Amino acid sequence: MGSLQLRHVDAGSCNGCEIEIASVFGPVYDAERFGTRLVASPRHADGVLVTGPVTRNMAVPLKKTVEATPQPRVVIAVGDCAHDCGVFRGGYGVVGSVNDVVPVDVSIPGCPPHPTAIIEALRGITRR
Amino acid sequence: MTAGVLVVAGALLGLGGAIAGALLPKGWRVRAATALIWAACGCEAAAAIHVLAIDRPIVLRSTELLPFTGVTLVLNSLGAFFVLLVVMVAVPATLYGIGYASHGLDTRTAACVFPLFVTTLLLVPTAGSVATFMALWELMALTSLLLVLVDHSASEASRSAGTWYAVLTHVGAATILVAFLILAAHSGGQTFAAIAVHARHLASGVRALVFMLALVGFGSKAGAVPFHVWLPKAHPEAPSPVSALMSGAMVALGVYGIVLVGDDLLGGGPVWWWLVVLVLGGASALFGSLHAASSTDLKRLLAYSTTDNIGLVLLAVGAAGLYDATRHPLLAALSLVSALVLLFNHAAFKGALFLSAGSVQVATGSRDLDRLGGLLRRMPQTGALFLVAAAAISALPPLNGFIGEWLLFQSLLHGAVIGSTAADIAIPLAVAALALTAGLTVVAFVKAVGIGFLGRPRSESADEATEVPRTMRLAVGLLVAVCVVLGVAPTLIFPAVERAVKTALPGLGTRILAHGVDLQVVGLRGMLAPAALAGSLAGAVVGIMVLRRALSRQPTPRVVEAWGCGRQLQTARMQYTATSFAEPVQRVFDDVLRPVQDLDVTHVAESRYVIESVTFANTVDDAIERSLYTPVIRAVRRWGQVARRLQPGSVHRYLAYGLGALVILLVAVAVMG
Repeated sequence: MGSLQLRHVDAGSCNGCEIEIASVFGPVYDAERFGTRLVASPRHADGVLVTGPVTRNMAVPLKKTVEATPQPRVVIAVGDCAHDCGVFRGGYGVVGSVNDVVPVDVSIPGCPPHPTAIIEALRGITRR
Repeated sequence: MTAGVLVVAGALLGLGGAIAGALLPKGWRVRAATALIWAACGCEAAAAIHVLAIDRPIVLRSTELLPFTGVTLVLNSLGAFFVLLVVMVAVPATLYGIGYASHGLDTRTAACVFPLFVTTLLLVPTAGSVATFMALWELMALTSLLLVLVDHSASEASRSAGTWYAVLTHVGAATILVAFLILAAHSGGQTFAAIAVHARHLASGVRALVFMLALVGFGSKAGAVPFHVWLPKAHPEAPSPVSALMSGAMVALGVYGIVLVGDDLLGGGPVWWWLVVLVLGGASALFGSLHAASSTDLKRLLAYSTTDNIGLVLLAVGAAGLYDATRHPLLAALSLVSALVLLFNHAAFKGALFLSAGSVQVATGSRDLDRLGGLLRRMPQTGALFLVAAAAISALPPLNGFIGEWLLFQSLLHGAVIGSTAADIAIPLAVAALALTAGLTVVAFVKAVGIGFLGRPRSESADEATEVPRTMRLAVGLLVAVCVVLGVAPTLIFPAVERAVKTALPGLGTRILAHGVDLQVVGLRGMLAPAALAGSLAGAVVGIMVLRRALSRQPTPRVVEAWGCGRQLQTARMQYTATSFAEPVQRVFDDVLRPVQDLDVTHVAESRYVIESVTFANTVDDAIERSLYTPVIRAVRRWGQVARRLQPGSVHRYLAYGLGALVILLVAVAVMG
């Protein structure tokens, strides 16, 4: 694939995963070396990076964002909450995991996942 | 002589239309009047074409018809061109009127006055004497005023528009009358032929006075700045076929008047006259296009755009006069050609635009762009026709607006050095004004099409709009067809234009434009091939479509809603509005437009850091109206209040006035006698 443009959606995260993602694209880990990049609009993206359990307010925007991303696309669930709602499971504002709302292609475990784990997953997609 | 019979027959048929409109029952009157008006248009058009073909005026006289002066009709090539212009707008406008009738045109008054208005429009260019001209001119003003007031019982705005129009048009008529009376008094006759012979030998001061009075009078009819204030009031209130006729044809007759007096009767004048015309034209073009770019009412936008287009025409007329005064006959003729072509084009596309605006109003009940939107999908034919007309007025090739502006650019660019310092400064400035105007016009019409016809509907009525009756679409289609045909083959009307120009500037012997498929200015290096241009554009469009289809990898594209940052509630309010679209223009030209903005913040009682409500109002009213007319109106009103003290309603006081006046008169007679 070589290149991967990602739109990040915070579906209800505690911001732990966000800090790790910021670090992934920061100078230390610099994931752009491997052809991945964060972009501002799903119209520019090849994939969606989702963090957190999907809250009620974010379920429709998440669906719309994935819908707005051109195909072929990947949906990457970052962190345990995205995978199975983590500590927020059963919360009154939580709809479910990302996979309950949109089909997930790649899931990255960890609470939060280490930047190297995220990079490993992204490199798995870009094959670089 | 047969042509003379046609002119009279046309006038009688027009009157017959008025009578039919007044007498027939409701179901019949509009159709009958329209049929008679078409017959009248046919007669007048035939007479006009005959005159243009033989290139000799036809003269008709009747001593019985008007007391003291008689009626003189002279149809020369210049007049014939304007008759054709009126016919070109009148036929579609009246056709449109059939479908539009139930919106105020099928009352007895309107059905009677509308044919009369069209008839006077047809006859004004054939008037051959002062009395005939003024009678027809006033009849035209009065009938159009009545038509503006069709809606008077329902809307206050209509009454106010009527007052503005009545006052300005009658001030204009008064100055025209004074100008003609001065000319007639010095000529020993009131026919234009007699005046044209004598007017050339008048003192230069008198000639200048006459020209300036005529310029004010005809300028107020043409809608030139600063006499334009009635246009944005009267055009929106008038029924749409009437707006189309007023804006397409009646306003053009104002320009006819300026050419008639300046070139035909006075035989040209010194440089400064035409500099005044040029400045008026430039100011009108810029002011009109600026206001068009910032208006949000569709018909108000079109009315300001009329001021803008008339400004361009006056630029051309002024340049023609300048070139004539500095002995550049070829450039003068070219400028006047461009003026007439611009007028003809304007009549076609502005007629189409006003009629489409009427269709929009019929379908949605609104002219406010901020309440429209999404109409292209709901009214596809009206929308497409509006789009083409808007492209024409924006001077995009291969449509007619481009041809007119190209000619004007040619005449102005070739006039770089004509040997008069003032003109040498004015002409390049005119080029700049023309360029800026062209840009602002595009802004105005991108707004009109983009906000009005694209996007999502901003109101329920716009959402429920349906296509208008077929006659209305057909009428707009006729005018749009004229725009397209004259854009691809402009040489069709050039023989007529050339004859008209040679009537106004008789010194010219040679041809001005080489006739053929291409446009070529004789004696200058200017060439345009409109047909080739249109062909290559069409080829490019087809080529791109074919290539796109051939190269496209994805056979069926996926259609999803517009990206709105994932918002759950995407309403029509989250679009660009006409106001927001115009905001940058309004900000840049703040000093000219002088918008009134009012921001009102209400805080909650407990804390001034918490805001309860914010109201913001932004209105762009006419700065010229505010600073020039409002003080005059206030002064007149004050004097009116003072004068009322003389009229307390007491019979004794009035008897005393009578006695006093008699005594003063007797004393005066005794002293002088």
